Amino acid sequence: MKFNKNRRTLLSRRTALKGIAATTGVAAATLAAPTIIRRASAAEPIRVGVISPLTGAWTVYGRAHASGFELAVDEINARGGVLGRPMEVVLGDSKTEPRIVVEQANRLIRQARVDFLAGTFSSAERQAGAPVATQANKILLYPTFYEGQEGEYYPGVCNKNIFMFGPEPTQQVWPFMEYMMNKFGKKFFLIGSDYVWPQVTNLVSKRKIDELGGEVVAEVYIPFNTPQYDSVLRDIRNSDADIIFHTLTGSDTVNFRQQFVAAGMNKNFTLWTVDDEEVVTSGLGPQASEGTYVSFDYFMSIDHPNNKTFLKSFHTKFGKDALMNTVGVAMYNAAHMAALAIEKTGEVSTDAIREGLEDLTFDKAPQGTVTMRKLDHQLVLPSFLMRVRKGWTSVNDMFEEIQSVTKAVPLDARCKYPLQ
Amino acid sequence: MSALQSTTALQTARRLGVSESGLAIVALVGFALLPIFVSGYTIYILPQYMLYGVMAMSLALLWGYSGILSIGQAGFFAIGGYIIGLSFKWIDFGNPAYIAFVVAPCVGAALAGVLGYFLFRAGVRAAYFVLVTLAVSIIVEQVAVSQSQWTGGWNGMYVPRMSLTLGTGTEISLFDDGPIYYFVLVVVVAIYILLRWLVTSKFGKVLLGIRENEDRVISLGFDASLYKTAAFMMSGALATLAGALYGTHAGFVSPSLGGVLFSTEVVVWVAIGGRNSFLGALLATIVVASLSNYLSAIAPKYWQLVIGVVFIVVIIHFRGGIAGALGRSGAFGKHKRGQDG
Amino acid sequence: MLSTTISVLIDATLLTFTLALASLGLAIIFGLIGVINMGHGAMLTLGAYFTWWTMEAGFPFAAAAIIAATCVAIIGLALEHFIIRHFYDKPFETLLITWGFFLVTTEVIKIAFGTDIHNIPNPLPGSFDLGVQQVPAYRMLLAIITLGLFLAIGFVFYRTTIGIKVRALTQNREMASLLGLDIGRTYKLVFVTGSFLAGLAGALICPMLSIDPYIGMVFLVRAFFVVIVGGIGQILGGTLIGSFLIGGSETLFALFSTQTFAQTVVFALAIIVLRFRPLGVLTSATRT
Repeated sequence: MKFNKNRRTLLSRRTALKGIAATTGVAAATLAAPTIIRRASAAEPIRVGVISPLTGAWTVYGRAHASGFELAVDEINARGGVLGRPMEVVLGDSKTEPRIVVEQANRLIRQARVDFLAGTFSSAERQAGAPVATQANKILLYPTFYEGQEGEYYPGVCNKNIFMFGPEPTQQVWPFMEYMMNKFGKKFFLIGSDYVWPQVTNLVSKRKIDELGGEVVAEVYIPFNTPQYDSVLRDIRNSDADIIFHTLTGSDTVNFRQQFVAAGMNKNFTLWTVDDEEVVTSGLGPQASEGTYVSFDYFMSIDHPNNKTFLKSFHTKFGKDALMNTVGVAMYNAAHMAALAIEKTGEVSTDAIREGLEDLTFDKAPQGTVTMRKLDHQLVLPSFLMRVRKGWTSVNDMFEEIQSVTKAVPLDARCKYPLQ
Repeated sequence: MSALQSTTALQTARRLGVSESGLAIVALVGFALLPIFVSGYTIYILPQYMLYGVMAMSLALLWGYSGILSIGQAGFFAIGGYIIGLSFKWIDFGNPAYIAFVVAPCVGAALAGVLGYFLFRAGVRAAYFVLVTLAVSIIVEQVAVSQSQWTGGWNGMYVPRMSLTLGTGTEISLFDDGPIYYFVLVVVVAIYILLRWLVTSKFGKVLLGIRENEDRVISLGFDASLYKTAAFMMSGALATLAGALYGTHAGFVSPSLGGVLFSTEVVVWVAIGGRNSFLGALLATIVVASLSNYLSAIAPKYWQLVIGVVFIVVIIHFRGGIAGALGRSGAFGKHKRGQDG
Repeated sequence: MLSTTISVLIDATLLTFTLALASLGLAIIFGLIGVINMGHGAMLTLGAYFTWWTMEAGFPFAAAAIIAATCVAIIGLALEHFIIRHFYDKPFETLLITWGFFLVTTEVIKIAFGTDIHNIPNPLPGSFDLGVQQVPAYRMLLAIITLGLFLAIGFVFYRTTIGIKVRALTQNREMASLLGLDIGRTYKLVFVTGSFLAGLAGALICPMLSIDPYIGMVFLVRAFFVVIVGGIGQILGGTLIGSFLIGGSETLFALFSTQTFAQTVVFALAIIVLRFRPLGVLTSATRT
């Protein structure tokens, strides 16, 4: 009551006119401003639009995502830039919303006039950004482990302007299937979030399971933001599965696994996850994560000289407690490889970057040597199977290596060739 | 609330309306001339914000003029986006976009009609209705995620950019930023005029009456639940139509378009702009969305906080939002407003 | 078959109690003083974060939970005193203000605590063997605590003078004020109690979940449906029955269909219940 002294009046025309003029002005000015400020010079920077989930549900991954790219750009500029030009990052926040990715990709291309794009996080975000990049004929460097390329999802995949720097299931899952089956048994319980990445990852993994004579006893998909898992845990308990193959994402993965361990089921089942990197495992804590298996192309704890150098400069820039993960490293590789591509062709154009990236090998990647395949723009990279160490205290002793391949060659993407 | 007070409220609204038209014309001229001075991204993105603005106006019709709050408007918006996407996919005769522009509002209105009739008839209180619309938003998002054979699931769906076809053979491409900017502007202006006309019609007066004092309107022999249902249908139809147009402009729709977070963002825009002013809601949406776009790269963390604080302050101190505050600065007369809810 | 049935019943019971715990604070605030507290989710989140934070500082879980709940109660008190109490007769305004409280709190949490996922170790590892299945000890404890809270509230509500006052107030406000009841104080007491219980729920539930800025949001919509389906003002029986119908039926539907479908159906059913029993399943009269 006290606050509600609302008076209705006839608008004073002049005040209101000013208001309108101001609003239209603000809208136009805020959107247009940076274009005006642009300046041209001989050593004009090479501008890269980086779209990261800085806010929203997946901020957790966003930090490593953006900082991987920023670190590489720092290193590139420290050694004199590319073709004598510095590299400059223009950041766009995806807010973890595909809708905003469309907005930001357009902003970066049309207004910030970036030379190419890197980032987007989830497959949905990549799908949203891809048509924008395609239409403007810009390269998009995509960093996240994902479900692989399937022609029907063009232009999000199978696109000559998009390059994949993260592993897909035939790299992330297939190499370790035999080991896991021999060690723990042939019966799989598949549980994942209810969307494309887990569904396709499971589909691809099932092919390998079948091939090796294994069996999928159940396949369950959980809607996002499910707090309680009692009925799923009962299904798992009543199944005679040996391995739980886990593709839940975000906070759901933590919710599920806390309850899985609280029910004491980690003693009876082996859990193999292809989603829980350093950040999520830190979030889980030792109690809920120890003894589980994880596979990825990169872990902070892999023993490789490149990784030592990489982590050293990473910690110098972002502090010793900062976390890195597969996605951040993919962004790091993407920046370095784009710089190499530009140097190789001597030109900063979409065609030149594309040509330069194809068949490019980068031997300074934190995980070892990686090669961008010309055929389907999929990175050929190492792959690791790790077990979460009992009673780990930090990312440094979080994972112990069980198996690794230095060159995980994926199946050819299911695209129309040559890429359109 | 006395009869006298509700008449003054109506009169004020009408008077506000008169001068609002002048402002609307100024805004329209401003937006119409804008492409002469700026180009590129601004002209690309503004139509999307204008369409958010239409969704905001559809909420203002409900909230400001009928006293019903919905936090499920984005659900309708997303349905519109999917309808135009499916229309391009499935329909191979005529202009799929035109068909979507007919089907989308019908579906929106039908859904709102069923839900509204179902709930208002039973006398479900306005406050509960809010929660139901919240659930609608969640259900839309969840269905869009799970029915991936139609919607493309979580990865979303591509929508081609529409063209205008006139009769046979004449086709105007809206592929470039300029043409579709003007097309959207015309649609937004048309919807604005329609809404303004609607609230000054007898229908609108009954709605205002319901907002001020539902029992009194019922005692005058009006079926309040029918009127409320009709307002919800109108609002749902407009939000769905805006969503369809958004789909073809943005080229991409995905489930989170219908989600709770986006739905509540619309409420924030309308509260800030002024729930009793369509122009206020429209312009506030465009400005807040523009600022949000611009500032999110600079200070992503603090921008959301600022919006939250502004929202609370507006609800507490400026019920009429910016439009109301601007009106107040004219310092002409003092009316005490009745309370709703 | 029998063992499956029993096992489903056990799961449904555990789920019911967890949901009831998460909804209790909302049921009290919404049910007794009519404030649609959209900030309930933020209060759960704050409870979880304060617990984690206090435990990082070295306190044991039980102490951390009490401290967290108290802190949330104090925040609730401030919110009530400075803002909410001026809007008790405007449900729309309180709904929006509490939503604003949610927005601001979520952002402040992100700025103050960061956006990393946190966790606290399971305070009571181990499990009970109930024959057909193992039940995690902590889940048992949670169910017992929830039951205890319900009994305690029932006692306060029906057996003490404060309870009588509150009941008088909800049944007939004018009469209560004529009888010299301090409405402002009683409302404040109810709001703070509700906040305390929301904070406590956040604290007690967080060992099972990931502690992130959206932890409370997950429960918000479910909690609302629990309260509406159970019946506004039916704090004890209503909340339990509402929790069972929302949580338990989700478990049952999931037996025959996908999880996603089950959740969607439950929300849709809640809307239908609201239509035919606008005052909750326990109240059959359709008065407004």
